[in-house]
Amino acid sequence: MNVELVGRPVARVDGRAKVTGAARYPADDPVPGALHGFLVTSTVARGEVVRIDPSQALAHPGVVAVYTHADLPRLTVPTFPYIKGFIPLQGTAVHHAGQPVAIVLATTLEQAREAANLVRVDYRAEPPTASMDDATEPPHLPLPFRGRPNEITRGDAAAAWEAAEVRVEARYSSPTRHHNPIEPHATTAQWEGDRLTVHETAQGVNLTRSVLSTAFGLPPDRIRVLAPFLGGGFGAKGPVWPHTILTVAAARLAGRPVRLVLTRAQMFTLTGHRAEFRQHLRIGATRQGKLTALVETTTAQLSRTEESIFNESDSSSTLYDCPNVHVRQEGVPPDLASSSYMRSPETTAHFGLETALDELAWQVGVDPVELRKLNHTAVDQETGSPIAGKRLLDCYRIAAEAFGWSRRAPRPGATQDGDEHVGWGMATEAHTFAAAPADPPVTASVTVGADGRAVVRIATQDIGTGTYTVIGQVVADAMGVPLDAVTAVIGDSALPYAGVSAGSATIASVTGPVDRAARAARDAVVALAVADPRSPLAGVPADEVVTAHGHLFHVRDRARRDSYRAVVGRHGAPVETTGSLRNTPGHSYGAVFVEVRVHARLGSVRVTRVVTAHDMGRVMNRRTARGQVLGGVTWGIGHALMEHTVHDRHTARVVNANLSGYLVPVCADAPAVESHFVDHPDPASTALGARGFGETPITGVPAAIGNAVYHATGRRVRDLPITRDKLL
Amino acid sequence: MRAFGYTPVRDPAEAVRVARQTPGAAFIAGGTDLLNLMRDGAQRHEHLVDISGLDLASITDSASGLRVGGLARMRQVAEHRSVRERFPVLAEALEASASPQVRNMATIGGNLLQRTRCGYFRDAASACNKRVPGSGCPALEGWNRGHAVLGGSEHCIATHPSDLAVALLALDAVVHLLGPDGPRQVPVGGFHLRPGQAPHVDTVLRPAELITAIEVPRRAAAVRSRYLKLRDRATFEFAVVSIAAVLELRGGRVRDVRLAFGGIATTPWRSPEAEAVLRGEPLTVAAIERAGRVLVRDAVPRPHNGFKVELVQRALVELLSGLGGLR
Repeated sequence: MNVELVGRPVARVDGRAKVTGAARYPADDPVPGALHGFLVTSTVARGEVVRIDPSQALAHPGVVAVYTHADLPRLTVPTFPYIKGFIPLQGTAVHHAGQPVAIVLATTLEQAREAANLVRVDYRAEPPTASMDDATEPPHLPLPFRGRPNEITRGDAAAAWEAAEVRVEARYSSPTRHHNPIEPHATTAQWEGDRLTVHETAQGVNLTRSVLSTAFGLPPDRIRVLAPFLGGGFGAKGPVWPHTILTVAAARLAGRPVRLVLTRAQMFTLTGHRAEFRQHLRIGATRQGKLTALVETTTAQLSRTEESIFNESDSSSTLYDCPNVHVRQEGVPPDLASSSYMRSPETTAHFGLETALDELAWQVGVDPVELRKLNHTAVDQETGSPIAGKRLLDCYRIAAEAFGWSRRAPRPGATQDGDEHVGWGMATEAHTFAAAPADPPVTASVTVGADGRAVVRIATQDIGTGTYTVIGQVVADAMGVPLDAVTAVIGDSALPYAGVSAGSATIASVTGPVDRAARAARDAVVALAVADPRSPLAGVPADEVVTAHGHLFHVRDRARRDSYRAVVGRHGAPVETTGSLRNTPGHSYGAVFVEVRVHARLGSVRVTRVVTAHDMGRVMNRRTARGQVLGGVTWGIGHALMEHTVHDRHTARVVNANLSGYLVPVCADAPAVESHFVDHPDPASTALGARGFGETPITGVPAAIGNAVYHATGRRVRDLPITRDKLL
Repeated sequence: MRAFGYTPVRDPAEAVRVARQTPGAAFIAGGTDLLNLMRDGAQRHEHLVDISGLDLASITDSASGLRVGGLARMRQVAEHRSVRERFPVLAEALEASASPQVRNMATIGGNLLQRTRCGYFRDAASACNKRVPGSGCPALEGWNRGHAVLGGSEHCIATHPSDLAVALLALDAVVHLLGPDGPRQVPVGGFHLRPGQAPHVDTVLRPAELITAIEVPRRAAAVRSRYLKLRDRATFEFAVVSIAAVLELRGGRVRDVRLAFGGIATTPWRSPEAEAVLRGEPLTVAAIERAGRVLVRDAVPRPHNGFKVELVQRALVELLSGLGGLR
């Protein structure tokens, strides 16, 4: 038999192509005759466009057109996954700074960009509200979003809080933060009659297709969306944004293909962000630390045109055993761009919860790990049914042991090394992964050619996470062929249907269909062999044939063998099969332990050691799974210590809309990370025992760092980021 | 970015002549700051005079001091043996700057001329007196965490971002210039200008004037010198607070001390009063703290940058107590 590839640290099959530049990203390939588009964006945050004078821009060399709201046809505003609430260039209202008000088309990018500077726009400006603090209206409870209510009640939380033996009450906050994938958003739109091809930086080619279908009133089968590679998304490329629709509209008006690439600064207002967030938590517990009440009100930044909340409090309402829960997710709309999903949406509220539990642990004198074990739940807090295969307790044990948690100093501020206070902290990690929509079902096809090679096709995406590699592993294992005999073709809406690569849903939703299609292909080839008098396996019962290394063997007499290549070659036509399978949403868990060093005099915080353990069912690929941990931990350090987007209070413009002013961690900020996996197949999984995982390993990191800073210094910082000015 | 003309030049005299004769001209060398400014629309030039081919990149060490060509690259200077041995503060300041990639490209002259990182200055759609004189300063009432507590005016409180300039200031370096009226020399301490009424003028550099060299006088005490840079991430970030210090001790007493500060002021900042507090005194933490209080006596903190007043005093204790062997 083959040694199974699934689970092993298989190197990325597309790694070489990526580092040599052979991998072609959506904005890489030239499109003959394409014009370059550049957006003119509003300098004011609230008001109205009074007049647009494109004459200077039109006189600029190379400029072909300047389109405004006067030129664009009326389009239909799509609903989810278009979460903007309005399409720009459909009217004169300005809802936020950076909103597109015109699009310039020119022969070169430089011409388009300079001409965009020359478009004169007059506004009637009103003073904007730039932050939740300055909002005049009180926070309100938005309507349910995609069927999910913003208020959750279980038991009588208020009464239980009043009656609690021990209480923790605290307020936590997180600033606006941006995804900042290294690859900017890019769209290339090409019309041929009423058929549309779009090269798009998309986490979901089918989402882009459905949004464009709605906006332009075009049947989906006339639209093809391509995204073979993605330079990171983190949620920013999950929803579809206005620039995509505007590029498609401009290409239609111009009668020529149009390519548009957002600038880094434009990505700070046009592609979503993690909303500014406040959290008021009241936790009641017994003297031993058992939770009896959890009352939480969160306030997130909404926008004037979009009321959805993307900082869900799932962790507060479901992560621990607590009979009395009341969670309200409120919002306030300043004059800012709409927020959206960002890896992982739970992270923001999770910071407050996991910090509050640390505060509770110190208050009752219980070890933070023991406190979490005490409040562990094996049943779904909303339905009461058991959570299949949950191994969070294993995560605590494995990570605590590897970290050496038992040697933790019992008091805050007790450990000093040279000029630095040393502190240890931990937090639970938890993430709900999504299911692909049931209809149409996620489907993969596998084609085995006369060369014996397998091609698997499915309209999923590799957003940098390793989808190409894992799909290849699954097919290779199912068919008994080497990994290099499998080619995965993905990132194209013309392929068999799959959903968005968001919500950690890719592996969870595509593995099952891919595995089924590959097993069907194997079975079909075996059937051909045993029915073929020319095959050494002729007449052998199909269930006595095994496959490995691209060959077919008689299970008891391995000298009787054939090969995929020979069988399909003799057959004279490729063998093609399909497989479909629905998946269900679920949860992945983990524990993260960190060590920080805080300079006693200067307040500098360094994260010097991180140990993680995760439970995401079966590990499909140890190397790409560890990649997710490294990315999550590093980004969690960014969230804890530096990342924040600043809006000017008077203009509501982003003050640091670039990677010089918006700090993300650099290599020197990233410590050694020791990652462990429970690696136990989930019996409820439809993905060969695996669950969705990718977003999980950031969720607890900011709280673990804050808890470690408290342990180091005795200072509790409840407002992120933990910059040195808060520790002086 | 607007289209612009481009002329590569072969010698300094030609550079000055072309720049003087061409309206809207600017010199370009490493381009690590200028191109970003032009791309972002924060700065516009009709013409670029490329001086990167000029023979101004050499570093020479003599009895009188160190002479660094204006076009020497940051990395080249940081790695130079004499710099590392005789002026450690200079090497440390350079290596604490930017990233290896930027240091490979950026020149010493360009480093002194880099523009502020103020977010309002870098956003072409914001008001900014430094970019558009008279348009206002949103930083005064807006986001000013990174801004100056010393040397500001009601028109501008932007900090100068150079680490190198802070180190050079502590070393009493001299800037050599060549302009249409010939060569001249300006001490680094007089090179950068406080914003005052004219924040759009960063330096005393005249039109078409070129930095040909930096001269660092030989000073034995510079062997005991150090650069401390505090910032919001471990590398590749500008200073929240930085200090360059040259300390000369004799018998536990401060024979001489030179202190220059970055991140807290609108220009690289020297405080003769703070130095005077220490000079001749035994080096103690208490004395350093007294010097720190004198340094920030006239500080004008804003809503978000008040912590710098405290932080720079702590940083001074950290740096001098380390340099003076008190720890």
